[in-house]
Amino acid sequence: MAVGEQSGTALPLLLPLGDYGLLVRFGAVLSDAANRRTIAFSRRLRLAPPEGVTEIAPNLVSVLLKYDPVRIDFERLAGQVRLLLSDVDADADVDARLPRMQHQIAITFGGSAGPDLVTVAEALRLTPAAFIAAHNAAPLRVLATGFAPGFVYCGFHPEALRLPRRTSVRPPVAPGSVLFAAGQTAIASTAIPTGWHVIGRTEFRNFDASADPPTQLREGDTVIFTALPS
Amino acid sequence: MTAIHLTRVSPSTTIQDRGRPGALQYGISASGPMDRGAFERALARLGRPSGEAIEITRAGIAFEVEEGPAETAFEGGAFSLEVNGALHPWPALLRLGSGDKVAVTPGPHGNYGYVAFDGVIDVPRVLGSRATNLVAGIGRSVLQAGDRLSLRPVVSQAAPVDLPPPASGDGPIRFLWGLHADLFASEIRQAFVARHFVISTRLDRMGVRLGDPAGVFSVAPSLSLVSDAIVPGDVQILGDGTPIVLMRDHQPTGGYPRIATVISADLDRFAQLRPGTELAFAPVSLHNARQLYLSSRAR
Repeated sequence: MAVGEQSGTALPLLLPLGDYGLLVRFGAVLSDAANRRTIAFSRRLRLAPPEGVTEIAPNLVSVLLKYDPVRIDFERLAGQVRLLLSDVDADADVDARLPRMQHQIAITFGGSAGPDLVTVAEALRLTPAAFIAAHNAAPLRVLATGFAPGFVYCGFHPEALRLPRRTSVRPPVAPGSVLFAAGQTAIASTAIPTGWHVIGRTEFRNFDASADPPTQLREGDTVIFTALPS
Repeated sequence: MTAIHLTRVSPSTTIQDRGRPGALQYGISASGPMDRGAFERALARLGRPSGEAIEITRAGIAFEVEEGPAETAFEGGAFSLEVNGALHPWPALLRLGSGDKVAVTPGPHGNYGYVAFDGVIDVPRVLGSRATNLVAGIGRSVLQAGDRLSLRPVVSQAAPVDLPPPASGDGPIRFLWGLHADLFASEIRQAFVARHFVISTRLDRMGVRLGDPAGVFSVAPSLSLVSDAIVPGDVQILGDGTPIVLMRDHQPTGGYPRIATVISADLDRFAQLRPGTELAFAPVSLHNARQLYLSSRAR
């Protein structure tokens, strides 16, 4: 692990992922700084994809570039990417110019929609009502899409709301389930098994295979959660 | 319209085309054929520059042509092929007519075969592709006995080409060290290359679990990693030490450590290995992997 990779402030690592992938990794652990750099760099790459790149997919702390090995090899692409990365101001410029969408998402907390609400609140030494208020208090950032169609990670909650995942994985939960763990809130758009705490459910579906694009939330967008009367 | 009626279908039979490259950003893996080379050879036999095929699994398929004629290509692995009770060699390109009954039954090797037609299998495109993605629940659901598939005339067609068969070989499966290779102790990395693994019975379009008789990963560390991008061929070690090679319908991201990635040029061959087959892994350089990629495309 490179020095500084923990904090997301070091030079990013450029790693081969198979024989047609280049991963630009801004940190080895999830940090606010590494995620912000990931989002800013992927937005810039999308505006002007490097020669030979066939797909750009941002993750929590890395951007995957798939490339066409017929058109370019890893070393040449890595060289281009290093040049882009050396111009750190350009990321900030693009980031400032591109709009960020804001989404309001209404959640039914607790009850059958959120079977873990009470245990989560207890673990954080809060009443369920106080937990819901704290959970919705500040807007969150969409950190990444991944794991399943339209599945988004949103963060970060303050340290006081940080809770590890459950020790066991639940069988598939309903689409729209609102999940909570590790300082984040995630929204499932399809039925998925999960080890996260299920705290509520939303009518909002971030995945529609017939729409173009099929998802509404993008990394970097702002999400404001509100509570529906349960 | 030309149509075929499926009378017997093996489990997990799907429709595949070149898939959905570009959909990872929405949380969807690309899908596509488990044996890409075989799929491409099926299309080439029909002179189709692009298209889709039925991807059959080991038990094969049986169907009746309701309204013909239909040029039909059979490719991938080695299956047994009968038309109206008469045996034909595999692979094949046959002109089938109305009422013809086709039976594909298990042959000596391979897990996946492709049946493609000179008409487009009339299922809707989802996100630009007709491929079924089982993990994402996208595209036509798994095919079943009793299904009827209509074939529409293709728009563009080229001269049929008979692509040479894949380079045969039962040598080691070649790989590049993976995203988390540095997190495995050097003894484990050495054992990964030195020891044999076995294809288990738990294999599907999402991944192939391997038996590890030498216990290479029995002492593998349980690591808490940030979820990161997955590519087909990634060799991931589950929490209980089970190695699993992730395939075309992989989850888009994952948090288990990955020691290796099978190179593109060997992934088709790997996909066709049947349960019980012993295999070994051999590392190659990225430069070597690219040369093999280019020559596998050029063949």
